[in-house]
Amino acid sequence: MNMQTREVNGTVVVELQGEVDLGHSPRLRKLLMELMLERRDVLVDMSRVAYIDSSGIASLVEAYQMSRKNANRLTLVAVSSPAMRVLQLARLDKVFAIADSVDAALGG
Amino acid sequence: MRAVARIVDALDRLGRYVSRGVSEFGFAAALVGESLFWLVMGRARRQPVRLSAIFAQAMDIGIAAVPIITMLAATIGMMLAIQGIYTLRTFGAESRVTLGIALSTVREFSPLITGILVAGRSGSALAARLGTMRINQEIDSLTVMGISPVRFLVVPALVAMVVMLPLLTLWADLVALVAAGLYVSAELQTSLAAYVDEVITLLKLNDLLHGLAKSCIFAVLVTVVGVINGASVTGGAEGVGRMTTRSVVHAISAIVITDMVFAFMVTR
Amino acid sequence: MTSPAIEVRNLVTHYGSRQILRNVSLDVNEGEILVIMGGSGSGKTTLLNHLLGLLTPTSGTVRVLGKDINAIDPLELQELRTRIGVAFQGGALFSSMTVGENIALPLREHTKLDVTTIGIVTRLKLEVVSLAGFEDLMPSELSGGMIKRAALARAIVMDPRLLFCDEPSAGLDPVVAASIDDLILRLRDAMGMSIVVVTHDLESAFKIADRICMLDKGEVLALDTVDAIRTSPNERIQNLLNRRTEEAEIDPDAYLKRLLGEKKKDRI
Repeated sequence: MNMQTREVNGTVVVELQGEVDLGHSPRLRKLLMELMLERRDVLVDMSRVAYIDSSGIASLVEAYQMSRKNANRLTLVAVSSPAMRVLQLARLDKVFAIADSVDAALGG
Repeated sequence: MRAVARIVDALDRLGRYVSRGVSEFGFAAALVGESLFWLVMGRARRQPVRLSAIFAQAMDIGIAAVPIITMLAATIGMMLAIQGIYTLRTFGAESRVTLGIALSTVREFSPLITGILVAGRSGSALAARLGTMRINQEIDSLTVMGISPVRFLVVPALVAMVVMLPLLTLWADLVALVAAGLYVSAELQTSLAAYVDEVITLLKLNDLLHGLAKSCIFAVLVTVVGVINGASVTGGAEGVGRMTTRSVVHAISAIVITDMVFAFMVTR
Repeated sequence: MTSPAIEVRNLVTHYGSRQILRNVSLDVNEGEILVIMGGSGSGKTTLLNHLLGLLTPTSGTVRVLGKDINAIDPLELQELRTRIGVAFQGGALFSSMTVGENIALPLREHTKLDVTTIGIVTRLKLEVVSLAGFEDLMPSELSGGMIKRAALARAIVMDPRLLFCDEPSAGLDPVVAASIDDLILRLRDAMGMSIVVVTHDLESAFKIADRICMLDKGEVLALDTVDAIRTSPNERIQNLLNRRTEEAEIDPDAYLKRLLGEKKKDRI
């Protein structure tokens, strides 16, 4: 898994790439939790996620819950179809804030 | 013809019995070996033996058994005092009763009664639990999850048993000696303090260790017999009952026989 | 298509001296649902146990996710098993743990994930199998269908590449059985896992299978797509499909011997 962050107008964009599995999800969780503690608005670009397992989803869930508590923003962006199928399996596609593209998310 | 057939049949059964016995011994040795392997190598194999599991077993085997051990040990102590005084009175030597009580309690009765009690309580429970798990495919389930059943189920019980049985024995020593002392001091009109002093001078560390070493061996015996019987359960709930009973009988027999052998080898 | 998830070649197995599987060969492709069917005594349970590496074959090989399950070293096998999920017929949930602890066990034992993450994954899986909110119950408090679903949740908790289900709908009412079939289909579609289902339920097999493997008397009678099996001209297949019992050929000698109780002494 590759993880890159950049900042656009005060919003942190986390770009995930490759396989988010057991071995890598703790890193994702750590990053997201730090951002949430700093009360940052975060977009997670998932367009290049080839595979995400339950532990990766769990990290997103935990961070998302924290963002709601802090009244920050955590939006999943351009979710790739393998990742979307996993979200749909647990009906989480109806829970997360999901946007089609980074631009759309920033504009809206 | 019929007689020959009957003899052949009997021999056949005897052979089976022996081969089953031998294979169980082999199983027991392998089990102890594998348990030690996981205990030492577990961490390297990414399957450490969990302290919490050992602790849970220790509570069950040890702490929960304290009340009944206390009661039995007190009773045995009293019984020894009564019989001892009765016997020695024939020689007019009842004041020497403390020696007999102290040695027989610490070297023999405490480890034996504790071992038998734990065999009945925890050895059988272990056999029943493993047996039930086996017929419910829970053991298979552990295996296919990549969790060694020996590491997960047997080692915690074995370690807990080896730690708790000597401790229970030590407690039984204490209780039995005090109970005997109470009877002796009342019957012979001496003070309990004098009795305690006498016990302390008479008992050597060696005697205590003799009893504790045996209780360690009993711990291994009870666990291994329980596990083997539990693991060989076939045929549903009835099978579990059968093997549980078998485990108690075997464990107690093993304890008594080992006790004798140990005493014979060490005492002479 | 990549290499098959399971590759069985010329598998021959015995139980004692009785041959159970006769030269079984089959493949399970990546992302495929293969249903193994057959009446009782057809050897389907034995085959499953061999695929899981619980039994050692007399001859032949079983390759699972590219690895020969009977030849790899223990650490590799342990690693392989973390990529395989198994839902046993009776659930095989550990009766001493809550439903949640049962499901979390593989994660706790095999990963270093944070407890919060483990908790979320566990509840996520319960959601997937529609058992949300049941994590604190003990297995004994669940109904048959719930146990099967909880077992399924535990089987998929590590997101396995390969899932085995033993009789997932046996003993359930038709509605619950259908919901489990749907669940299996959804799991394959969402996670792309290869799934092997062992069942004797025709309706369920036709609904979920990509291909069906028909076992009869320890042999692969047919291994083909659902349609091909359904329209097969083979009489034995049609008999099994239509639940006709087969008229066994009678060997008068053997029959009389059986009736008179003249057993062959071929026990080992």
